[in-house]
Parts: sequence; C-alpha cells; structure tokens
Amino acid sequence: MTTISYRDEGIKLYSTGTGLINQIVSKENIIAQNMKTRIDDQSKPQTMIQEKYTKRYQNLKVAEALSNNHLYPFACNELSSIIDLGYSQLPKDLKAFIFRDCLSAFRLLPDMNTSAAVSAANLLVKSVESAFPKQKKNLAIVEFKQAKVALKRRTKGHDEHIDLPSLPQDILVHIFSFLDVYSLLSSSQVSRSWNQATSEGSLWRSLFDLHFSHKVSIHIHPGFDWREAFKNEYILYKSSKMLRSGRGYCSYCDSVVWHDNLRCPKKQCRLKSGKKPLDLMLTHQVVNYLLGTTSSSDESDSEDEAVRGLWAYPTLQ
Amino acid sequence: MSEADMAIIKPEMMMKSYIWLETTDGSIQQVEQEIAMYCPMICHEVLQKGLGAGSSKNCAISLPQRVNPAMLSLILDYCRFHQVPGRSNKERKVHDEKFIRMDTKRLCELASAADSLQLKPLVDLSSRALARIIEGKTPEEIREIFHLPDDLTEFIFYQEEKLEPLKNLMDDPRIRLLNRLYAKKRKELKEREKLKGKEVEERVDERSVDDLLSFINGKDHKVVKTSKSKKKNKKRKEHKNKVSHNLHSKQQGVQIVDETASSVGGVSNLPSMEDDIFSLKTDSEDGYVDDGMDPVLKEMLDREVEDFARRLNSSWVLSSGQERQPVHFSINGNGATRRLTAIDD
Repeated sequence: MTTISYRDEGIKLYSTGTGLINQIVSKENIIAQNMKTRIDDQSKPQTMIQEKYTKRYQNLKVAEALSNNHLYPFACNELSSIIDLGYSQLPKDLKAFIFRDCLSAFRLLPDMNTSAAVSAANLLVKSVESAFPKQKKNLAIVEFKQAKVALKRRTKGHDEHIDLPSLPQDILVHIFSFLDVYSLLSSSQVSRSWNQATSEGSLWRSLFDLHFSHKVSIHIHPGFDWREAFKNEYILYKSSKMLRSGRGYCSYCDSVVWHDNLRCPKKQCRLKSGKKPLDLMLTHQVVNYLLGTTSSSDESDSEDEAVRGLWAYPTLQ
Repeated sequence: MSEADMAIIKPEMMMKSYIWLETTDGSIQQVEQEIAMYCPMICHEVLQKGLGAGSSKNCAISLPQRVNPAMLSLILDYCRFHQVPGRSNKERKVHDEKFIRMDTKRLCELASAADSLQLKPLVDLSSRALARIIEGKTPEEIREIFHLPDDLTEFIFYQEEKLEPLKNLMDDPRIRLLNRLYAKKRKELKEREKLKGKEVEERVDERSVDDLLSFINGKDHKVVKTSKSKKKNKKRKEHKNKVSHNLHSKQQGVQIVDETASSVGGVSNLPSMEDDIFSLKTDSEDGYVDDGMDPVLKEMLDREVEDFARRLNSSWVLSSGQERQPVHFSINGNGATRRLTAIDD
C-alpha cells in the first residue's frame, strides 16, 4: 500500500526523536484511515482497532479524574469535547465507555461542591443532548436531573457557625506553595490574612519559575515584584488557554496525563525532569490523539512545537 | 509524688523513660520519651534545660499555645507510628493517608500544632491536605469551608467610610489626588459588588438622609455594615461633577465590569470558558485572561489606596488647619504605585 511508505516519511518528518507514542500514533493512523473508508466492515482487524481505541481511552484516565475534586471539571470538559468532535466515529464499545463515564460524572456531581463542577456538568449535558442517540440521551439526562436535585438538597443544610482557629501566616504560605495559579488567586480573595499570605514573593517566584523559566530570562533587581512579572508573562504567553485543558504530555513516561501543577503526576518522571514543566496540551489535541485524527479547527497550534510534532502527521487524501 | 514512687518500684517502667508535657490549659500528660523526642521542639527543650526538664510532674515541659490536648494526642499517635524505624515507606504512606482524613477544622489545628512543635513531616502532610481542599475552588466556596469571614471587603468598606471627596478650598494637589483615589476606589468597590452578585444588591440602604448628610459633613465616622451599593450610588451622584477624572475612570470601570461579568467567578472558573473554545472567539479569551489577573491588580490597587488614604487621613485629623507634613509613601516597585505617583504630576 502506498500509504505505508508515505507514513514512514511522515514519521521521519514529524517525530520528535523520542517517543514510542509517535510510532504507535502513526501506525494507528493507517488503520484509522482504513477504518474510515470501511465503517460497516465488521471484520477481525476492526475489533483489534476497537480495542486499541478503548485502551487509549483508558490510558487517558478520564474516569479516575472524575472522582477527583480538582480534576472533575477538566474531565467533564474533555468528555464534552470528545463527544462533540467525534462521537459518531467511535467504535461501539468505546461509545459504551463514554456513556458510562458520563453517567458517573452526573452521579458524582453532588459530591463536588463547586460551581466549576456544576458548569462543567451543564456543558456535558449539552454535548450529550446533541450527540447521543435517543435512549442513551434520556438515561443520561435523568441521571443529571437526579444529581441536580441531590445537589440542591445538600446546599440547604450548611449553616453551622463553627469558629475555626486562624492559621498562622507561615503555615498559610506553606499551604499556598502547593497550589496552582488559579487556586492561589482565589485564595487571595478569601480574607485579609489570606490576602497577605498570597502576596509572599517566594510563592510567585516559584510559579514563575515553573511556568516561564524555560522560556524567559529575567533580570532581578531589588524590589522586584514576582507577581507582576508572572502576570506579565502570563498575559504574554496566553497561558490561560494552555492551562484550560488540565492536560500535558510527559515525554518521560510517554503518555498524556493530567498534570499536577505542570508536572507529571508520576514521581519518577518528576525526578527525571527536574525543573522542566510538561508540554501542555489543548483539549482538542487530546481528542485528536484519542480519535487518531488531525484537526485544523483550532485557532493556533503554534504554541508548542514539541506537541505539534506528535500530532501533525500528514493527512491522506 | 506517688507516680515517682511507682517509677522506682516498677522496674519495667524504669526501662522506658517518660517525659511530662503540659499544655496551655494546664493538663499534664505523661509520654514515652522516645515518642516525644520525635518532635524537634520537645527534643530541644530537653537538651537545653538539661536532663531535669520534663522528668516529673512539677517540671513538665510546657508546650506552645497552639497545641491543645486533642491535637497533642493526635500528634503523639503520629509520632508513635513513625518513630519505629522498621516501617517501610509504603506502610508509612498508607498510614499517613488514613491519618489525614479528618474534617477541615481539625486539619487546621493539626497544622498549627505541628508547626509549633516543629514537626516538619506532619506540617507538610497537613498542609498538602489543606491545599488539596483549597484547589479549584472559588473564594466564596473556600470561605464556606473554612468558615472565614469576608473581612477583606469589610475592611475596604471601613476605609470607604472615609472615601468622601474632601473639600478642596486651597486646591491642594494632595486633596485632588486623594479625591481621585477615592473615586477610583469607589468604582472598584462597585465592580466588586457586581461580581459578588445579587446578594448584596438586594439589601436596602436603611440610613436616613440625615445620617448621610451628617456623615458627609464630617461628623462621627461610624462603621456601618449595611448595604454599600446604594450608598455609593447616592454619593457618586452628589460628587459626580467635582472630579472630572471620575467620568473617564467610570467608563473604564464599566468596560472592565463587562469583561469580568462575561466569565462569572473569574479566577478558577475554567470550564465556563469551554463554550468559547470551539467558537474561536479570542475576545472572550482575553477577557478571561484579564479576569484571572484583574483580582490581583485590584488587590494591589486596593492596598495602595488604603495605605495612601490612611496616611493622608491621619495627618489630616492630627493637624487640622496647621501646616501638614509631607507624607512619604513606600514605593515597592510595582506598577500600581508607579501609576499612582504619575497622577500626582
């Protein structure tokens, strides 16, 4: 097949050097392309394909993220994107997995007591409504409505006025040192003492180092405000867009992971990578990885060359 | 006394040496030495004060204020597990994860107590647990969980009591500057109010006109914690014409409010922007970015204005009619301050 030789060229052109994932993805692409032209074919190779898709989905660990308080909104958004971008293309058992995860997302909603979770779930419902077949859609919506009722019931009984001891400033700073940018900014608006604690320069310095040190070199002078510096770089690099997915690619374990403040959650990878953060990924890139497609429907791929190298294999006409 | 006797009589107890620890509420506990020594602070106390310290009820080691008896027993449980050298890392991890499962209040107490005893691993453990709780929540949600009062906005409101534009008979540039700052401050407070939502706006301003007038005329400055939005609107109407800068800044204020209102909750509400991802709108993204940083900017501006206002106010009150001392401001090298001093020119 001519496609195979072209594929080899593709690997040379676009591989980033390391990464088994390159080879896997490019090989999958051949199969995926074939699959597209023979959608109704139920022959044996296709079940193998289905298993690979399913395995890829399981490696994404969306289901695990749903039970995590912090990752729940990210996981819901990813599910929405997957459904929006390619539900019809998915093999049968992967569709079943997605359906199952949507149901568990709604079931877990009452436990997630945040407004972010609620809006993420709302978005998911919208995707479900537009893409799912009738029966599944109705089941999912029922689940969602039950979740909303449970949520309302929960928020009613929360009027205990316990007096919490106030935490000393250095403990607060220590706690904040574990937080990501958004949580830190939220914390700064909580109360006066927390606000004071968040203005601690060392916090913003480490965040700056984490996010930007490999891109930017700065000159420090006495009276240098790390928070200002961080803010400037943040706006410059449009970080909010990249951070929106919660996803990154770790070249050490060669997988798409939920990043823990820009680091791979696996300890060995963190040790190996030292100060270097993960390559962040946009949601649609994750979806492309899952579906084995390329999508040009995004605004700007150009942000991360390394990530692009993974996904930008040539499309075959 | 009887315990000391018993210590001599029972040889088994002679093998293990005990330390006496006293918490601030006066209760004294007897603890195996090796467990207590796991805490650096206790260790230092023993070493510093010599072998006599903590050896009997009378000279018990007094623990810092933040350690109450409940926390002490928790910490000692922790020490008891960890000071055994033979445990594997995995065992320790499993124990820690079970150990840390408690309500937020106890976690806070535990973190304080561990910090005062300088037990760093426990401080780390409890801090991480608290960080995990805080992650991904909006300020309102965090306040709910930790039962923290919103004294940030209250503090600003208190300052706002003094945010009336001052009569500028001599056309003193400092007064001009202060009035401008007050105007900016009011505008910011209004934005903050809008961000907060319906709750505040529904409250009705119950103060009479007389109250307001007397306040404006510079009588007793009372801290009134009723709704501020209506009051601000009234004041703004009265003083609208006084400062021309006001109009311009208000326009800007409205613009910023629109942007921030488009992504409610601002900072940590990432998924709400997902709607725009596939519709390729860069505007809302920029608005989102501003939103993420605007709170920071606002905080910085707030503090600058508060400082400035406080200083000017105090010098005002102290020397009414007399020659005023020039007020010095500490410039900490950030953009907000630079901007403020620019207005001065």
